[in-house]
Amino acid sequence: MKKLSLFMLIFSIVLLGFSAGAFGAEDKKIKAGFIYVGPVGDYGFSHAHDLGRKFAEEKLDWLETVYVESVSESDSDRIIDRLIQQQKCDVVFTNSFGFMDSTVKAGERYPDKIFMHCSGFKRSDNVGTYFGDLYQMYYLNGLMAGALTKTNKIGYVAAFPIPELIRHIDAYALGIKAANPEAKVHVKWIYAWYGPDKAREAAESLIAEGCDTLAFTEDTPAVIEVGQSHTEKGKQIYTFSHYSAMQPYGEDSVVSGQFMNWGGMYVKILEDIYSGNWTNEDVWWLAKEGAAILGGNETDPINPKFVDDLKQAMIQTQEFGEISAYDLVMKRYDQMKQGVDVFDPFTGPIHDNKGTLQIKAGERASKEDLLSIMYYVDNVEGTIPQ
Amino acid sequence: MIRLSYTDRYQITRLRTLVTNIFSLAAGLVVISIIFLIAGVNPLFAISEIFQGSFGSMYGFKETITKAIPLILIGAGLTLAFRAKFWNIGAEGQMLMGAIFSTWTGLTFGDALPGFAIIPLMFAAGFLGGALWGIIPAILKIRYAINEVISTLMLNYICAHILTMLIVGPWRGATRFGFPGTDNLPDAAILSVIPGSRIHYITLILALACAAILTLAIYKTRFGYEARVVGENPDAGKYAGINFFKTTLILMAVSGGLAGLAGVGEVAGIHHYLGYPASVSSGYGFTAIIVAWLAKLNPLYTVISGIFFAGILVGGDAIQISLGLPAATVEIVNGTLLIFLIMGDYFLHNKITVSFSRT
Repeated sequence: MKKLSLFMLIFSIVLLGFSAGAFGAEDKKIKAGFIYVGPVGDYGFSHAHDLGRKFAEEKLDWLETVYVESVSESDSDRIIDRLIQQQKCDVVFTNSFGFMDSTVKAGERYPDKIFMHCSGFKRSDNVGTYFGDLYQMYYLNGLMAGALTKTNKIGYVAAFPIPELIRHIDAYALGIKAANPEAKVHVKWIYAWYGPDKAREAAESLIAEGCDTLAFTEDTPAVIEVGQSHTEKGKQIYTFSHYSAMQPYGEDSVVSGQFMNWGGMYVKILEDIYSGNWTNEDVWWLAKEGAAILGGNETDPINPKFVDDLKQAMIQTQEFGEISAYDLVMKRYDQMKQGVDVFDPFTGPIHDNKGTLQIKAGERASKEDLLSIMYYVDNVEGTIPQ
Repeated sequence: MIRLSYTDRYQITRLRTLVTNIFSLAAGLVVISIIFLIAGVNPLFAISEIFQGSFGSMYGFKETITKAIPLILIGAGLTLAFRAKFWNIGAEGQMLMGAIFSTWTGLTFGDALPGFAIIPLMFAAGFLGGALWGIIPAILKIRYAINEVISTLMLNYICAHILTMLIVGPWRGATRFGFPGTDNLPDAAILSVIPGSRIHYITLILALACAAILTLAIYKTRFGYEARVVGENPDAGKYAGINFFKTTLILMAVSGGLAGLAGVGEVAGIHHYLGYPASVSSGYGFTAIIVAWLAKLNPLYTVISGIFFAGILVGGDAIQISLGLPAATVEIVNGTLLIFLIMGDYFLHNKITVSFSRT
């Protein structure tokens, strides 16, 4: 009996040695797991991430990926464990803010793996963060919204009162203010990332309150569908697409919008990991890096239907004198692509809607300011839910 | 001509129940196999992956147990309410109320008290929270004849919004940079887990104890007898002098209280802070309704059905991760399995005879 177990022991050690040898001889591969908060077919956030994942997998031949969609925040610990323990992932990307604590805790449990959390602020030795932000595009959307609105009441359907949303609402409002100082922004909170029914309800009630222009943060085209149906009935509602190319859902209503190209970012992060250059430093991409893109579809930054209207709407600016809304959008977009030091929406003087000066004249909000922003600028109505 | 006729079965043995369940499960698996075939996946591979992911591997089993804890606690509480034909659909809210009460207790006293004092205090607070949320619909039903299905269901939403209001407003933690959610509970207020797993064993022991005690209470005590009479024969109950108000209050306090305990377990054992309702519970209060039914309203059996159902939920991960099918497939598979288990009930209670007759 003893002999047999000794034999087995030696045998298994030899076997182990062989398999290790085989592993070493193989080319280095990386397996990355992606955890999405929504369904990949949601046409919003998770959809955009999944396009990025596919892009990276196609581009990097040493990369293997696996994804899990519709992961509830209460289940994220388990899914991370499963990706690491069962799927043997080397890297795990978690794509929702609500996964932050689970991701950081997982970093402690698996110190030899790398975790990347999208949109959070907690980092550790093996947990990094990344984000692509769209606030610049919201500003450009705001310029168009301000130029087009007839009622001077502009609506925003918002998911959750967190800094990311406040930043988008404020950027949108700053754009509106630059084009039309009279217009005010009205916000409705729906407390859901994926909630087409709630978004539809909020959009309808904003229209009932007199808003003729709507932007939103929610992962379905629901708001656009509302805008399109009112427009078809003869009441023009302008909408701005969010996160994916949603213009096909409202050809007569969608003026423009924004979407995010995660592909480049995923390729960069994974290449850094592959080459050993990865650090936990926050990866924060904007228009300059080609992450934030203007438009309601892949081809037109602005829906051709509204180009004439925007060319006729004249705006008085300090920098360019009198200029059409269309040209202003294009000029600003160009500047944003050059970098935040050329033009950034959050350049003072900026007051909050309680009258306090938040950013001094000539100063530009730092990334930290933007990441924790929790005040409405002065042309947004109401208060942030407390 | 073939004729099917059915007669009521009066004697239902344990063996027959077991055999019926196994057959129902097998029939469900056959239908699921067809679904997998249509999706282009080898059903044998798929089912073995699901089993691997839930019971067949150490990792899967640990996760199954973790997920079974709240299901057993809530399910056991629900058997009591359902026995009295009090259709408590509000366990989700009762669980969240337990989470709210215990988080408050943990955050307020966690720094001052040692673990052996704060943990029982939190469980007591959680029980109290769930019980309070449970007796509201009980009072509404007995005093004002308000349908408990509606009131318990609606109270879920009210509780979810109270929770949201708290974490967005007054309880928003200083360490959260403006994001909603309370601060993390102090270390003393966090339940320890079995190393290498997420099983917060104190809640597990509590769940098993509650299921056992409740079984004794239902079958061996006067209160259990009264609860059953309230459900099965209210008229007889009235003549026998059973105090409906008191009995219903107590049973809903217990049913809600156990859901509250589950809420404590999730907050103190898993999440360590109070976040949005959806991040505290992934619908345990609703899933536990099925757990209670699968257990044939016997609290002790909720241990089995809770673990079984947790296994289905956890094994569902494999459908997405290993088989690469969309998340919706998980729900289809789980739903199909349950429909068959519930349909099996018909054959348990009715004897089907097939007779051939000449026409």
